[in-house]
Amino acid sequence: MKEAHHDEGHGHEEGHGHGTKYKFGMVIDLDKCTGCGACMVACMAENNIPFRKEDTNNRLTQNFWMRVYKISNGLPFPDTEISYIPRPCQHCEGHGHHAATPCVSVCPATATDYSEETGIVSQIYTRCFGCRYCMAACPYHVRVFNWWDARWPKGMEKYLNPDVSPRMRGVVEKCSFCFHRFQRARNKAYAEGRRELREDEYQTACTQACPAGAITFGDLQNPEHKVHKLKDSPYAFRLLEKLGTNPKVYYLSQRDWVRKAADVYMGEEGKDVFPG
Amino acid sequence: MKLGRRTFIELAVGFAAGAGAGFMATPVNWKLMDDMAIWTQNWPWVPVPDRGAVTQADTICKLCPGGCGITVRKVEDRATKIEGRVGYPVNDGGICVLGTAGLQLLYGPWRVPAPMKRVGKRGAGKWEKISWEAAIGEVVGKLGDLRNNGQAHKVACVLGSDQGTVAQLFDRFLSSYGSPNFICTTSSEDTYELATGLMEGVAASRAYDLEGADFILSFGCGLIEGWGSPVRVIQAHSIWRSGNANERATVVQIEPRLSNTAGKADQWIAINPGTEGALALGLAHVIIKESLYDSNFIEKHAFGFENCAFAGKTCMGFKELVLNEYNPDAVSKITGIPGSKIVSLALAFAKAKHPLAVWGRGKGTTSGSLYECMAVHALNALVGNINKRGGVSARPQLATRQWPEVPQDNVAIAGNRMPRVDGAGSGQYPLTRYLPDRLPQIINGQNGGAIEALLVHEADPYYTTLDSAAVAEAFDRIPFVVSFSTYFDETANQADLILPNHHYLERWEDCPTPVGLRNPVLALLRPAVSPQFNTRHVGDVIMEIGRDLGGSMSEAFAWESYEALLEETMGDKWDTLQETGYVEEKGYEPPAWGKAFQTASRKFEFYVTAFDQAGMKMKEDQDYLPHYEPLEPEGDPAAYPLTLIPTELMRLADGAVGNPPFCIKTLEETELKGDELFVEVNPKTAGDHGLSEGQPAILETPRGKAQVLVHLFEGIMPGVVGIPKGLGHQAYDDYLAGKGVNANSLMGVVEDPVSGLCATWGIRAKLTRA
Amino acid sequence: MDSATVPFDSALIPEGVKRCQLKWFLFWMALLHGPLMIGVLSYLMCWGLALNVTYLNNNFPFGLWIAADLGVIALGGGAFFTGFLRYVLDIDDLKHIVNFAVVIGFICYLAAQGILGVDIGQPLRGWFIFWHANVHSMLTEVAFCITCYFSVLCVEYLPLLLENRQINKLGFFHGMAHHLHGAMPTIAAIGVFLSCFHQGSLGGVPGVLYGRPFAYREGLLIWPWTFFLFILSAMACGPCFTILITRITEGFARKQLVKRNVIDILAKISGRMLLVYLVLKTLDTLYWISTAAKVGAPFKSFYSTAPYGIWVLIAEIGIFGYIPLVILLKKEWRQNDFFLLLACLLNCTGIFMNRWIMTVQTLVLPVMPFDKAVGYHPNWVEWASTLMWLWLGAIFISLSYRYLPIFSQERELNPT
Ligand SMILES: Nc1nc2c(c(=O)[nH]1)N[C@H]1C(S)=C(S)[C@@H](COP(=O)(O)OP(=O)(O)OC[C@H]3O[C@@H](n4cnc5c(=O)[nH]c(N)nc54)[C@H](O)[C@@H]3O)O[C@H]1N2
Ligand SMILES: Nc1nc2c(c(=O)[nH]1)N[C@H]1C(S)=C(S)[C@@H](COP(=O)(O)OP(=O)(O)OC[C@H]3O[C@@H](n4cnc5c(=O)[nH]c(N)nc54)[C@H](O)[C@@H]3O)O[C@H]1N2
Ligand code: SF4
Ligand code: SF4
Ligand code: SF4
Ligand code: SF4
Ligand code: SF4
Ligand SMILES: [Mo]
Repeated sequence: MKEAHHDEGHGHEEGHGHGTKYKFGMVIDLDKCTGCGACMVACMAENNIPFRKEDTNNRLTQNFWMRVYKISNGLPFPDTEISYIPRPCQHCEGHGHHAATPCVSVCPATATDYSEETGIVSQIYTRCFGCRYCMAACPYHVRVFNWWDARWPKGMEKYLNPDVSPRMRGVVEKCSFCFHRFQRARNKAYAEGRRELREDEYQTACTQACPAGAITFGDLQNPEHKVHKLKDSPYAFRLLEKLGTNPKVYYLSQRDWVRKAADVYMGEEGKDVFPG
Repeated sequence: MKLGRRTFIELAVGFAAGAGAGFMATPVNWKLMDDMAIWTQNWPWVPVPDRGAVTQADTICKLCPGGCGITVRKVEDRATKIEGRVGYPVNDGGICVLGTAGLQLLYGPWRVPAPMKRVGKRGAGKWEKISWEAAIGEVVGKLGDLRNNGQAHKVACVLGSDQGTVAQLFDRFLSSYGSPNFICTTSSEDTYELATGLMEGVAASRAYDLEGADFILSFGCGLIEGWGSPVRVIQAHSIWRSGNANERATVVQIEPRLSNTAGKADQWIAINPGTEGALALGLAHVIIKESLYDSNFIEKHAFGFENCAFAGKTCMGFKELVLNEYNPDAVSKITGIPGSKIVSLALAFAKAKHPLAVWGRGKGTTSGSLYECMAVHALNALVGNINKRGGVSARPQLATRQWPEVPQDNVAIAGNRMPRVDGAGSGQYPLTRYLPDRLPQIINGQNGGAIEALLVHEADPYYTTLDSAAVAEAFDRIPFVVSFSTYFDETANQADLILPNHHYLERWEDCPTPVGLRNPVLALLRPAVSPQFNTRHVGDVIMEIGRDLGGSMSEAFAWESYEALLEETMGDKWDTLQETGYVEEKGYEPPAWGKAFQTASRKFEFYVTAFDQAGMKMKEDQDYLPHYEPLEPEGDPAAYPLTLIPTELMRLADGAVGNPPFCIKTLEETELKGDELFVEVNPKTAGDHGLSEGQPAILETPRGKAQVLVHLFEGIMPGVVGIPKGLGHQAYDDYLAGKGVNANSLMGVVEDPVSGLCATWGIRAKLTRA
Repeated sequence: MDSATVPFDSALIPEGVKRCQLKWFLFWMALLHGPLMIGVLSYLMCWGLALNVTYLNNNFPFGLWIAADLGVIALGGGAFFTGFLRYVLDIDDLKHIVNFAVVIGFICYLAAQGILGVDIGQPLRGWFIFWHANVHSMLTEVAFCITCYFSVLCVEYLPLLLENRQINKLGFFHGMAHHLHGAMPTIAAIGVFLSCFHQGSLGGVPGVLYGRPFAYREGLLIWPWTFFLFILSAMACGPCFTILITRITEGFARKQLVKRNVIDILAKISGRMLLVYLVLKTLDTLYWISTAAKVGAPFKSFYSTAPYGIWVLIAEIGIFGYIPLVILLKKEWRQNDFFLLLACLLNCTGIFMNRWIMTVQTLVLPVMPFDKAVGYHPNWVEWASTLMWLWLGAIFISLSYRYLPIFSQERELNPT
């Protein structure tokens, strides 16, 4: 398979008469992450993610955009260790050129797209017709399908966020890097005559909520953004790097076994990593 | 003819094609397609949130004692998101799972929509909406009768906290009414306050300078499960991880199970459950033996380290006790930790620049052993980090304006002279303020009649108290139960009347410094949204009940409204509070050693002289000193070969507030599956009992029995079973009710011999295949 | 003929052939409608209550439906391939079975589209695939080609329908049938072209999933290997499926309908296609083992999730591949009735298994090392809605057989 190409940080480019070009990404410090779950709930609250009492905490049918995985080194008591891996959409750049993001290239209805302006993989709920091909294409289980009609208990629809439309049944959805927040920030900047967003102007809901400050979000290409430097740490890695999906979410851990958990397929090599 | 037919066919085909093309050219089909696209997006049951002006409201989260500052994002009059308040001294922008899900509690079906009067049997959930006048009238009628019949002292209030004006109002209510039974649910905080009072002579809350410490020795504290003020502690944890401008801190977690805290720690020390106190003393042994203690502090500011003269005789000091009794070998036998590990841990702790030992098992939901707490506190004293940077201190609250003396008529005076129903503050337990966990035994033991009326505010004793069967029986014996709960929680479910308080996002209230914070902070809850239901502020309601009871009680509540009372009480801080939401004493420094201690010796007392002052009869010298006194878990080891310990999870609220749907959704699939709860068992133990992953099993303790599923976890000590706290609700809604088992129903109360507080850390159990 | 044995609907029945009494036929129809109605119910449940009534979930966006879809399209490949052999390569004897191949193909493609109609979450938006087409998506290509090819099948089926005794009496329809017959070589050629594309693209559907090393195949030209493998496998199993259904039909009709030499031609060609397919499939498997290892997915890891052990590979290629291959290639064996049917059955099963493996097993295997493997077992709704097409197919064949002159050799083989 083709080598995933690392982009050298070119610095952020001012577009040619168009908007500024960004390449938004995340660096998640797994040594800081406590597995508390605030990012999951913040995402649910921000993005009007439904819940269904019959499904309780079923990972196969409940709707998560952010999902925190618990992993263990599998060693017996008392040498056991655990860690958590928060997993938003990796906003894969893919390898090759146009539309090579795994999920984007397969969508027959162009309902999901890779934005060259932001690096964000979008999802258009009103265009998706629910074939779920994109879900099969994503190795990270990022995409979720609306298996049922989203309904809120009476009165609870009051808390819904008008910036994110609630989805209808039968369509696929996923983490958008809180794109609506980008839109708001960009509109505000434009209104103030600025073309470029400051780092703190656009932050995702999970980043903002994380009590441990484990998530850092920003423009990977912009040397002034924290993620730019963090992603080059010797402890940085990405999930399933070898597949060439080229994610824009990086992870940090000083623990060898945790880093190893990222890039081995199940079986032989991956013997030392287990679902927690 | 043949040709004609062909022509005809060609014409027909041509016509059909033409008609098709013609149709395609009309707008009809395009309109139909467009409509179809729109229909499929606008099912009437898919809500479309209204747009509008976006505003922010800052207030305080009340879902746990953490007291985080929150910013509520609003669209017109709807609250649409809760976020951590940036720059707030407790949590600077951070928030926890529960806090984030607060809007589900605000708008959810578990809200009590109006005053409710029970019409069915208790717990049947059959209610009738009544007016506020009628509801208050009922309470006044009942309490009036009791007062007239000389039974005022048989009225009790149970609250979640004694801090702030609302708690003070309840206290005032009882004082003017004539009952000593102002009771708060307790936590490890109460034990630490007691320890601080005994060893330092000050009545204050314990505060830790977590951010300034570089070696954290945690005696089972759920530092990232929700301990102290949960977000603040997690933020401190991240500081430890990334290095506080200099080096990464070292975190050592001592507990029998690999909790998240243990998982994140630099070192996890798996200890036999319940033996933490022995380990603390073993560490003290090494530190003393190696002379690694802070000699300046010990020599000048401590009493009872060396053997000393007290009460006319020479008493054994801490040093001798520890050197004699707690050598690494002895401690190793108790704790199961190798002696060499004890030595190296003690050396690392004592040699760190800012070592800090923290205490309070899990989330601190049970009060714990007093001597264990004192032993850990003694470790801090040994390394001299009392009131120091990176250390532990006693923190006062910011002063607010005092209220006028409570007017008391004869009935009130007589009632207040009666002993407290929970036995706190006198007799066997003179030092303790509240002993709520004893109530079920006392009530059931007296065969009723102990409490005639119970008022419950911001507590859910029916759910949170250990030994649910005894609690249920006790409730049956209380003739009149009133709940002020915002939600249909378990206690409200058992009440005769519910007088619902506003939700915390709908009301004004003061919020004193949250647990563990070093600097005193006074914060103000300011309504972010208008009341969604026919609720009333509990402060107004309790004052109105008081006034309606008449006589001297009317005088006790002369304020126009709770808001007026709040403004008056906050005094000169009111304007700032109203404007910014909080006041922080930024430059606060705990007093220096010379002035810090108010004990009889004016020193830090290893040897506690206050026991005698309180009239407690201690048998031996060691009873005055931090020492290890095993608190045996209930049950016969022969019949119950395993030990059940509660496990606490960050994503699962186990206090009075039920876990909202968002949080339930985040539980691991190895914790809850559908309605079934998992207990954690080491694969070895499971093997011994013929159990495998996911298997149904019967978990039985001397207190109860439940069906559970088994989850094999290498991170739990063999022989120990872990059960998550916070499930098994019967109240709220079926988003929560009926899911899992209430861990409290399987445990009983083990009283600490000195404080009488609940010191249960586990119970013997057996696990059999279902 | 004795009037008592003349069926009530004899006027509609082709001349010179014998059919059972109408009451028996209606009884048979009613019998098939039982399970069909369960299928209809499952459809209504999926459309009315949303897809949470199935076992499908976020780990299994694809399940029985998609595997069946790929399967029936492969099995329906008999239509285009027989058409190709008959009309393009001009193997004349095949004209005696090409009609039935078309009927089978028609049902298969109808089923494929019908299943997609319940599988997609928003059936009313199904047309977005054409409207907002993404040319990079294999599924877009599949959708276009399948719809076009289905139209071709309709046009191929139409003359059969028009040859019904009563319809054919109308001069217009008679002429139309005649002209359509004349145009058949062209139509068949178009069909072959379309089929190759969508069979190939279906192979591309799993084959391009580079996030799923188990399914992913490197490209040859611009397509992944699976593109070619799917075309070849359809050619290899389509004729066998035609044979199988023909023999089953003969079993129900209790008479021979097609001469054995015709069937033998199909079997022989099927065997040769299977040979080509298996050689390439074996090479592909070897190459795939090496490429997958490069991305950290050792071969063994693909077969370490129960129940998907190494037996899967052995069964698919060995038992369901090489065994029928040998039978089909060896004249004496394939001319033995039992062995022929066995070979056809094994061959079709193997191809169906391949489609299941490429979709469902692909999804069963976790890619992230810390992800848990989850099993997939379709629930009754999925089974009922899938099998519904089997019952519908049986009804369709029964009607076609009763009222249309599908089998040109029937009269000759069964003189009255
Ligand atoms: N996500 C989530 N978060 C939760 C909960 C939940 O269920 N889910 N539960 C909440 C609940 S109910 C609780 S009780 C809390 C736990 O919070 P609390 O029970 O309110 O406080 P403790 O956790 O007991 O604090 C642990 C112990 O540490 C010591 N301590 C810490 N700081 C100080 C201090 O400044 N002064 C003194 N004197 N002692 C101090 C005390 O001995 C105290 O008993 O967690 C809360 N947070
Ligand atoms: N056995 C056992 N004993 C325990 C504990 C335990 O877990 N187990 N926990 C201990 C601990 S740590 C604590 S903190 C105490 C806490 O005691 P808890 O009983 O856990 O009290 P809180 O968590 O403070 O919250 C309490 C009550 O206030 C209500 N409430 C919450 N918000 C509002 C509001 O806005 N308005 C109104 N009217 N009501 C509101 C809830 O419905 C609930 O009835 O119990 C202690 N005792
Ligand atoms: S993580 Fe999955 S959904 Fe997200 S861009 Fe990558 S392939 Fe697509
Ligand atoms: S499910 Fe929706 S987004 Fe995914 S591939 Fe199909 S149409 Fe595209
Ligand atoms: S970036 Fe936004 S959408 Fe994505 S996981 Fe975080 S909160 Fe959810
Ligand atoms: S909020 Fe932060 S600490 Fe909590 S699980 Fe998410 S990333 Fe980890
Ligand atoms: S830690 Fe406590 S106070 Fe803070 S947000 Fe969470 S529940 Fe609210
Ligand atoms: Mo609590």
